[in-house]
Amino acid sequence: MDGPAPPFSLPRIDTEAEAGLQEFLHDGPVVLVFAHADCPTTLLALRRLAPAAGERIVVVAQETVPDAARLARRAGVTGPVLADVAPHQVSQLYQVRTVPTAVRVEPDGSVAGVVEGWDRLALEPLVGVSLPDEPPAQKPGCGSRTVELEYRGGLDEPEDMFERGFSDGLPVVPPTRDRVEAMLGGRDPSGSLGTVPPVHGEATLERVAACAVLAGCRPDYFPLVLAAVEAVLEPSFNAHGIGVTTQPAAPVVIVNGLARDRVGLNSGMGALGPGFRANATIGRALRLVLSLTGGAAPGGLDRSTLGHPGKVGLCIAENEEASPWPPFHAELGFPADSSTVTVVACDAPLSVSDHRSRTPEELALVLARAAEATWSPFWWPMDDYSLFVVCPEHADLFGEAGWDRRRLAQFLFDTAVRPVAELRHGETTPQVWTAPDEGTVHKWTSPERILIVCAGGDAGRYSAVFGPCDGMQTRPVTREVQWTT
Amino acid sequence: MDYVSPFDPRTAEPVPAAPRPERLEGRRVVLLDIRKARGAQFLDRIAVRLAAAGAQTFRLDKETFSKPASREVIDRVPLHGDLVVEALAD
Repeated sequence: MDGPAPPFSLPRIDTEAEAGLQEFLHDGPVVLVFAHADCPTTLLALRRLAPAAGERIVVVAQETVPDAARLARRAGVTGPVLADVAPHQVSQLYQVRTVPTAVRVEPDGSVAGVVEGWDRLALEPLVGVSLPDEPPAQKPGCGSRTVELEYRGGLDEPEDMFERGFSDGLPVVPPTRDRVEAMLGGRDPSGSLGTVPPVHGEATLERVAACAVLAGCRPDYFPLVLAAVEAVLEPSFNAHGIGVTTQPAAPVVIVNGLARDRVGLNSGMGALGPGFRANATIGRALRLVLSLTGGAAPGGLDRSTLGHPGKVGLCIAENEEASPWPPFHAELGFPADSSTVTVVACDAPLSVSDHRSRTPEELALVLARAAEATWSPFWWPMDDYSLFVVCPEHADLFGEAGWDRRRLAQFLFDTAVRPVAELRHGETTPQVWTAPDEGTVHKWTSPERILIVCAGGDAGRYSAVFGPCDGMQTRPVTREVQWTT
Repeated sequence: MDYVSPFDPRTAEPVPAAPRPERLEGRRVVLLDIRKARGAQFLDRIAVRLAAAGAQTFRLDKETFSKPASREVIDRVPLHGDLVVEALAD
């Protein structure tokens, strides 16, 4: 906007007395900063502006007086703060679409400039101060609460996302151009990771970024999302089969290395979810790429009879700190200080409680018996990959006895063996029908089909086994996370 | 508001199905077995009925049911038939 600044009067948070625009203009120009408490960009901008600008800025918070005071405390604002309570008439008067919006008003009452979002180089001359030269130099703002009011009256943005089909059934973050650009972090939007079966939509970086925005990812999660998408598009993963099968198949994403702390992934209590943004949204972003860009939407080309709750998205981080074993990715040959994403196509998890075993043999027997029930109780052998998520207390029992992953996998394989005569029921394999009556068969074709990671809280003895997507000929795929653009 | 779509517009329009044949007599029909359990039995029965209707049949197998057919299998279909019957699932 330009021309004269509309006059107004709003309560100050310190005195609750009304203050008018004019009284801030006695000592020179002032910058009105429109803000609300739900916007991370607003917090960032206020934290950097407040120490440098002091009384030169007047915060106009789209909040009640107490909420505006809380915002001021969180952001370290000591200068004047006004509460523009709903329906935020002053924000509407100034046609604010985004927070933060900084509006410079000269002593004669004219508007001299407007900056939306956080933009250090634009804000320095607007406010007339030097601001800290720290990344990010720019960050898009968030929707003004006045815009939200408009949606209530007419077009509702979350409903609009459902109308467009931009959803997995849950509400999403609208993939505005600003948000997608921030997610891309300077990457070429037209770059491609390949096509996503079954419809072979092209996974341009821009579309993958749109999915990451929809899922609720922060931009710093994006390198992990990219690694996960790259991994599922590796032909040996068989994303086509996993996407369209009647099985309850879904990719489990396993993260190892420094990336876990860098983006705040949970590997401890509740490691399989829910409750942690990075876990929930990285797994969800991958699923959105598969179901929207790839067209494997449930009830459409995804023909899964039941599905399972993990198909919303399932991203776990190995609890390397609590594990007695080297990190999963290090055992695959990746440097221990690298960060990796592994995708494994699995069925729904089966929880295994055991608080009584005191020897590794006893505990491994319990895990083996649980795994024998996966896929189908009489279907032996399985030739795809089973994933054991071993909790720290269980892992400690194995570790203290000197059992490494290989020994545990071998024991599970050796223990899960049955006479074929016991297995000739219902759905079973040709091997079981054709083997001699005195023959035996293992649950897996090889110990190599058993994957083991350690995750979960340090109290409680519950592990889990994810059965395989048997018959899919899917292979786990690991990709190193590339942090640079 | 302008949004970035997660969809590839090239995939928005499904390929339309070919028209159904008016008659089967004298037509060449490929019977494609994707190797799902009992798919072969189903195709055996279909072959008998097609023969009774005066059609010629030719059997082809996919390598595995869990993955798309290879280019080689796809290319062989028009060499041996004008029509295809696929046994999709058990």
